[in-house]
Amino acid sequence: MAYAAGVDVGSTQTKAVVINEDRELIATCLIDTGANVTKAAENAFRACIEQEGILEEEIEWVIGTGYGRYKVTFGNAQVTEISCHGRGATHIFPGTRTVLDMGGQDTKVIRVSPDGEIEDFCMNDKCAAGTGRFLGASASALDIPLDDLGATALDSDKGVAISTTCTVFAESEVLAWLGKGKKVQEILWGVHESIAKRSIGLMRRVGIEGEITFTGGVSLNTAMVKAMEDVLDTKLNISEQCHYAGALGAALFAMDHIQASRAPHPIAEEVAQ
Amino acid sequence: MSQNLFDSWRDQPLEEVLYQCRELYENTDFPTVRAWRDRGGKVLGHFQVYFPEEIVHAAGILPVKLRGGNIQPDKADSRFGSYLCSIIKTSLELALSDKIELDAFVTHPICDAARNLGAIWGRNYDYPCEILYLPQNPNSAASAEYLRGEYDRLQRMVERVAGAEINDEALRHSMAVFNRNRALMRELYEIKRQSPEKIAAEDAYALVALAGILPREEHNELLAYVLPMIRESAAKQEDRIRIVFEGAFCEQPPFDMVRSIGRSAYVVDDDFMIGLRWILSDVPRGRDPLRDLALSYIEDSSYSPVQHDLRKRKEEMLVRRVRAANADAVIVTAAKMCEPGLEEQVAYIHGLEREGIPFFVSEFEENQSSFSDLELQLETFMENLLFA
Repeated sequence: MAYAAGVDVGSTQTKAVVINEDRELIATCLIDTGANVTKAAENAFRACIEQEGILEEEIEWVIGTGYGRYKVTFGNAQVTEISCHGRGATHIFPGTRTVLDMGGQDTKVIRVSPDGEIEDFCMNDKCAAGTGRFLGASASALDIPLDDLGATALDSDKGVAISTTCTVFAESEVLAWLGKGKKVQEILWGVHESIAKRSIGLMRRVGIEGEITFTGGVSLNTAMVKAMEDVLDTKLNISEQCHYAGALGAALFAMDHIQASRAPHPIAEEVAQ
Repeated sequence: MSQNLFDSWRDQPLEEVLYQCRELYENTDFPTVRAWRDRGGKVLGHFQVYFPEEIVHAAGILPVKLRGGNIQPDKADSRFGSYLCSIIKTSLELALSDKIELDAFVTHPICDAARNLGAIWGRNYDYPCEILYLPQNPNSAASAEYLRGEYDRLQRMVERVAGAEINDEALRHSMAVFNRNRALMRELYEIKRQSPEKIAAEDAYALVALAGILPREEHNELLAYVLPMIRESAAKQEDRIRIVFEGAFCEQPPFDMVRSIGRSAYVVDDDFMIGLRWILSDVPRGRDPLRDLALSYIEDSSYSPVQHDLRKRKEEMLVRRVRAANADAVIVTAAKMCEPGLEEQVAYIHGLEREGIPFFVSEFEENQSSFSDLELQLETFMENLLFA
């Protein structure tokens, strides 16, 4: 049995996955990226294969993706995270036509064809408003652990209006609302709504079509999912695997390579006959 | 003034020549312009896009193409609104921070910001600061005569700065120098189209841009020296997409952006510093040089978002450029806050869609220093083209 691996080195977290020849997910691993990007890629990959007792030589092809894709020095090739998220999302949810990938530092919207090819895409501009970073800044201002953000925000049925477009200023605005006596839950829900509205603008730039799959680390945030669904007035495709969509897409590209290289060459077949 | 201003490339191998050119292009102290003035020469600065430099050259004045630069507009920022493009601010900053000293300045009404640049510049300096009104509607039968009149007005201003009259003979000589220069640049672009692997995008860009800060005779010598070496280069062609870069008619993309693009694609044609290559073939040198120059501007010129000629619909011209260069795709870009550039993107996109030519839309700012997002998007675009 041959295996393929994908390593997605994101700005905040590094994800690694291994798939088999039937393109089934065999192992996943997630670690913080930290300052040493090369090391993070190696550690995630090793932890991933060790989980299932897979030997390194059994992994026939490794593709790196994410902002640190060129730091996956043990990998065989690199593919951008936009291509990988598109591919990974359509594998998890075959009906996907629009992918919203919200990561730590950027947000991407990808429109894909039924076979996972990228038809159009766009990213947030320089500014981190509308990304996971915006949530991080708000969590820090309110002194709430990042993992509790979603549940806390969902405790409120209304939100304050967060008007700033700047992540740096968001902290001041959050504190200003605290000063005015608003509840933490209300402020947090306002933050989620603000990000959702900003993301819709980005989604409209590429055109919202078909099923929407939400990928990236922020897709695990239940309040963010609800805020997006409220604004879009539709259900989003969400699964545990969505956090690994980039790494999964990379592994799928790697498996394409393995299987294509094994396919008999048409000219060689002709000669053999 | 017989001594050369830029000599470090002479007798050097190709790599060294190109290195010297890149260094000079990126030097925001403009040492060649400074050296010209130190030797007693006068300098006329002209803003983008096209300017009839021959008239200034004929007076013995150095025409310098003001194209902004990678500097912080610390002083100029206070003279403009924050909603304006960067090149307007950095061009004035070059003067305010004494990086370039001028004896005259000319701008063009290519947009509101550029039109007002003359008056704003004039508030800071005593030397002539003029607007040259190139015809916005070259389709009018009167446009050539009108433009000849504008060139005549410009000539009189230049004569006042030079302190001497410009005769037709001197003007025809300058036209010959510039004809030669444009012919050499056309040769460079022919190499880009035919064998883009022989010259990196940023090197070709620097080679052309230096025309704006060197006496044109020196630039001719440089190109005549380097072009045969580029042709003979043994660089091997790689499996890369051939692209046309569109959107650099005024503010220039950062050098590192051109370098980034060149790493993943062959830039087989572009509109970098298009004003220097505006006239497409030799200007005839007849009895009325100013009229000859005016006619060439109108009848034998390239295209940009700031000239509106119904015979040269921009989207059709772009498609023609793509076909002539046998390009696979186009990067349609514009400087941030550039109204003419951003407006024209719509026409370009529709034209490319009609023809089924893949394109990638982007924006830039000359002072931009991080290209990771651009590289990511460009790489994805290339992946789609290569593996579709």
